[in-house]
Amino acid sequence: MFELQHITKQFSDKFVLQDFSFKIAQGDKINIAGRSGIGKTTLFRLLLGFEQPDSGTILYENKALNETSVWELRKKVAYVSQDLNIGRGNVQAFFDETLSLKANLAHKTNSKAEIKQYFALFELSEDLLSKNIEELSGGEKQRIAIINALLLKRTIFFLDEITSALDKVLKTKVLDYFLQNPEFTVLYISHDNYLPSGVELKTLKLD
Amino acid sequence: MNGAQDLSMFSMFMCGLMLLIPLLGVWYMKLGITKNLIVSTLRMVIQLVLIGFFLEYIFKYNNWLINLSWFLVMIASAVLSVIKNSDLKLNHFVLPVLLSFILANFFVVLYFNYFIVNINFILDAKYMIAIGGMILGNSLRSNVIGLGDFYKALRKDEQLYFYKLSLGATKYEALLHFAKKSFVAALNPTIATMATMGIVSLPGMMTGQILGGSVPLVAIKYQIAIMIAILASTVLSISLSILFTVRYSFHKTGTLKKEIFRSSNN
Repeated sequence: MFELQHITKQFSDKFVLQDFSFKIAQGDKINIAGRSGIGKTTLFRLLLGFEQPDSGTILYENKALNETSVWELRKKVAYVSQDLNIGRGNVQAFFDETLSLKANLAHKTNSKAEIKQYFALFELSEDLLSKNIEELSGGEKQRIAIINALLLKRTIFFLDEITSALDKVLKTKVLDYFLQNPEFTVLYISHDNYLPSGVELKTLKLD
Repeated sequence: MNGAQDLSMFSMFMCGLMLLIPLLGVWYMKLGITKNLIVSTLRMVIQLVLIGFFLEYIFKYNNWLINLSWFLVMIASAVLSVIKNSDLKLNHFVLPVLLSFILANFFVVLYFNYFIVNINFILDAKYMIAIGGMILGNSLRSNVIGLGDFYKALRKDEQLYFYKLSLGATKYEALLHFAKKSFVAALNPTIATMATMGIVSLPGMMTGQILGGSVPLVAIKYQIAIMIAILASTVLSISLSILFTVRYSFHKTGTLKKEIFRSSNN
């Protein structure tokens, strides 16, 4: 599905990735590990075209990722960032805005019921829908961002420390939701060392 | 119209005397801006004297080509000032912002002259340059806020912009949030000014007209018209400035070009 070939990325004088190669197949569950500041998030940003490698090629479905295909890719991947700056204002309006983007309009019809289900699943009270994002706690925001990603009905997920503000029970629940689904291709950064049962995890260690 | 009373040389001397108050104050308090104050005062006097003679001729000849050219010079200097005051690089922005200002300000000024003042010669120096100057001056101020904020916020909240792109947003969909915010920031000062107009201060244009011999009721009609014209040109020029500059400020992958900023730090 994805293939990184000899990727090198440097910020000022520091190498983040050096001659780095890796393959990601459909259905893979890959834990990206490595100490902080090593460039785990940069990897996501490279895959989403927000950064360009200094050298090397990224293949997406066997074709080199370029300035045209990157826009198509962004409609296939759901990215949940560790940065909780996801916007301001009413939570329901936040979901509506996401689903009103041209690329996502098709998923708007059933969204009300789905939001309800996800809220129940991730233990959020429905009262939150009428609150403003800036009033929510870190853990609530994290779950709102996760639900926003799930509403897009995509099957590739880039998850950047999405459980850092959740308690242990919820952490397990959230990670299981993504890792136990054989349809999902998941790249995730997490410091929890959680090993779900019956799932073959791959680890991509950056150093 | 009988016009305002001329100021004699003695009056101007007395005016210069009044300058001693800020000058002595600044010097006595050691504010370190004495030199700036003197230079700025001299610049103001020289520029105004030159422009005074210049306008005398412009109003006397009242030639459409000269009026038009001078208005273009005014627009160009406003554009330079907008870009200079917003940490953006001149070579990236001068053409799109110039185009935006020409379209927005010409449209509003010509509309004003033709439909509101209802003059036959819509390129008349008095109206084109005086009204145009007021509209332009306000466009300038709003664009410094609006355009400057737009790019500053994009750089600061790049994560949020990326997040929207990752949700499948097109470049324009992702930029909408930033454009809306900069519109509000740019329009707020004008909206606030309108709400206190006439109570807190008599606007400059009304003062000028009343001294020039107009009755207050004529002066307020012009003032109302000019404020609405200012709002129109503000909204038009910011929309166009953002729309035109956005075409050149992003890589094809949708990321903001860092080289459009003059300062490299965040």
